[in-house]
Amino acid sequence: MKPLKLALLIAASLGTSISAHADQISDLKAEFLQMRADYEQRIEQLEQRLAQTEVTTNAVKTEVASVKATSTSTATTRNNNSFNPAISMVLNGQFSDYSDSPDNYELSGFALQDEGGLAPEGLSLGESEITVSASIDQLFFGQSTIALHDDAGTTEVGIEEAFIQTLGLGNGITVRAGRFYSPMGYLNEKHIHAWNFADAPLIYRGLFGNQLTTDGVKFSYLLPTDQMIELGGTVGSGDQHPGAGTNSGIGDWLIYARTGGDIGTNHSWQASASHWQSSPKDREYAGGHNHGGDAVADPVLFNGDTDISNVSLIYKWAPNGNFKQKNITLLGEYFYLNEDGQLNNSAELAQYDAKQYGGFIEGIYQFAPRWRTGARYDWLGSKLRASDNELLTDADLDFSGFHPQRYSLMLEWLPSEFSRVRAQVNRDKSSRNDDTQLFLQYTVSIGAHGAHSF
Amino acid sequence: MKFLYIIVFLSVFSSAVQADLTIFACEPEWASLSEELGGDKVSVFSATTGLQDPHYIQARPSLIAKARRADLLVCTGAELESGWLPLLQAKAGNSVIQTGASGYFMVSNYVTLIDIPTSLDRSQGHIHAAGNPHIQTSPLNIVKVAQALSQRMQEIDRVNAVFYQQRFDDFNQRWQAAIDNWQQQAAPLKGVNVVVQHNSWGYLFDWLGLNKVTVLESKPGVPPTVSDLNNTLNQLKTTPAKMVIHAAYQSSKASDWLVDKTAITSVTLPFTIGGNEQSKDLFSLFDNTIQRLLDAAKQ
Repeated sequence: MKPLKLALLIAASLGTSISAHADQISDLKAEFLQMRADYEQRIEQLEQRLAQTEVTTNAVKTEVASVKATSTSTATTRNNNSFNPAISMVLNGQFSDYSDSPDNYELSGFALQDEGGLAPEGLSLGESEITVSASIDQLFFGQSTIALHDDAGTTEVGIEEAFIQTLGLGNGITVRAGRFYSPMGYLNEKHIHAWNFADAPLIYRGLFGNQLTTDGVKFSYLLPTDQMIELGGTVGSGDQHPGAGTNSGIGDWLIYARTGGDIGTNHSWQASASHWQSSPKDREYAGGHNHGGDAVADPVLFNGDTDISNVSLIYKWAPNGNFKQKNITLLGEYFYLNEDGQLNNSAELAQYDAKQYGGFIEGIYQFAPRWRTGARYDWLGSKLRASDNELLTDADLDFSGFHPQRYSLMLEWLPSEFSRVRAQVNRDKSSRNDDTQLFLQYTVSIGAHGAHSF
Repeated sequence: MKFLYIIVFLSVFSSAVQADLTIFACEPEWASLSEELGGDKVSVFSATTGLQDPHYIQARPSLIAKARRADLLVCTGAELESGWLPLLQAKAGNSVIQTGASGYFMVSNYVTLIDIPTSLDRSQGHIHAAGNPHIQTSPLNIVKVAQALSQRMQEIDRVNAVFYQQRFDDFNQRWQAAIDNWQQQAAPLKGVNVVVQHNSWGYLFDWLGLNKVTVLESKPGVPPTVSDLNNTLNQLKTTPAKMVIHAAYQSSKASDWLVDKTAITSVTLPFTIGGNEQSKDLFSLFDNTIQRLLDAAKQ
């Protein structure tokens, strides 16, 4: 209709003479403008509809692409390999330098175990660990860590951990069985490569020969509270140091409690207390020196009761709780061992009563996403009483009451979460022979992405 | 014995204050979506905030306690939480949140992931084998997740199934209207060249038609090196970009460097709810994201 109107209008306007009235022209003008606005509006509407169609087409396109992609992706994930367990391996090596000979190393008031000594001087290969883990079925999860390390030219294979754990008992209950790091203290449950320093705290070295493990069963119960409260215990074979000997029943047991939470978004903490008991049978003193290797001809043996109590506290800070950029970790632990029984060798027997205690505090500051630095202080003490001091001397136990101390500083560079290069300096007063120790160490993890606990 | 009473008391007390469905969301966007879909029938906890890098979260005691009581885990999946979520599952002693159980809901299973690497090697940086896990940057993904999540909530909590369906229908309507609105607003952004700091924005760009010129982190998760940055400069000479984008939880260092060297505008996007003050829920998150992009495009 409109085009017809337009044509008529044009014809009419052409037909009229110049002498037409001015108001007639202005009428026409108004009509023209009205029409123009009309058309513009319609064009705009058309444009909008076109744009909308484009958007819908795009949406359909993505939809089609997504359908295509899903069909291919489901096809590729269905192969037998997908049931393979998560496998990862930790490799490390280090350079160690000591101002005193590492063969002279002693920890006053404590008997060192096989692995409790210093790392070999110079370049050495550290422990290589292989960890394999997977869900076993709907009820169990399994994990094993095999450690390989060189000892005087031969490769030793050790089972660090091998356990199964329930996945879905529910109600906060978890049961674990096999060999596992005992839930005592904070660092003890972590693998050495996850520790913040190249060597174990002195108290770990002195009491456990670095770490306490349990061959047995662990129960834990997590309370249904907003604040994390976990109670649990273990029963074990009792043949892991400082336990010893075989037992027909329960050789050692442990109870623990831990709790923790957040304070705002920047702070989080965890505290724990634990108590372990055992009755070692014929626990052998290797003669004090580390990496002795050769058996002592007539070793001193301990029989009696031993118990250890521990408290630990950990605090972490990160601005806005964002650990990636910057964070601080403060950790402190204290152990107290109480032992009562007899020492003997083939010739002599003595009543023995010992208290060995000590702890450490450490602070770690990650000041940039790839850099961390930290300081640690260790201190120990002991009160050893025997009815015959000669046996203490034979066992290489220093009963003078000397207080070992150690100061450590470290700097780490972490190219990614899978690798770490660390430099560490210790001022070590483990015995009356002062020592300055330097470590340069790399630790890397290949394979499955491990998750580290708090 | 006293101790036992305390335990009994605590368990009774804690069950008394629970809603019908307790949801543990790994990221704030899924917490917000759960609230949209569950209303007052759910109590929702978010394990992270918008200012935290979700790749690097500590399996803190507080998270273990929350996971213990959860009926439903709503997490991104696609390995985003692989550094901490497995620990929570292992330590919580909660059967329903175990992998594959009824209370285990990984949103990335319900959308199509992009940027799936063709070769897997850690020398390429922190790559995600399953694809780009940052799916919350497109509202088209959100609606797919919402549908599947509502379905799951109806299965777990049958008593409230009708309620959840109504909530979903209502949300879906509002969300579709919002998408139309955002698409109209964002029309000027189509074809705009941008640089990103970390490859987190693929879904957003696909949706709005933004064109990614380059990534400052040439290897994901590894801070850009000097040569990476110089490469970026050269690339920008041939293909100039309007803006450089980073998430609120990331350090702006690399972006600032680029702003210093070129005429580019730096944009901090909230990335998720809580990434800035304006992003309070899913709707305001996209309102704010688009507004910030438009503001930067005008400069």
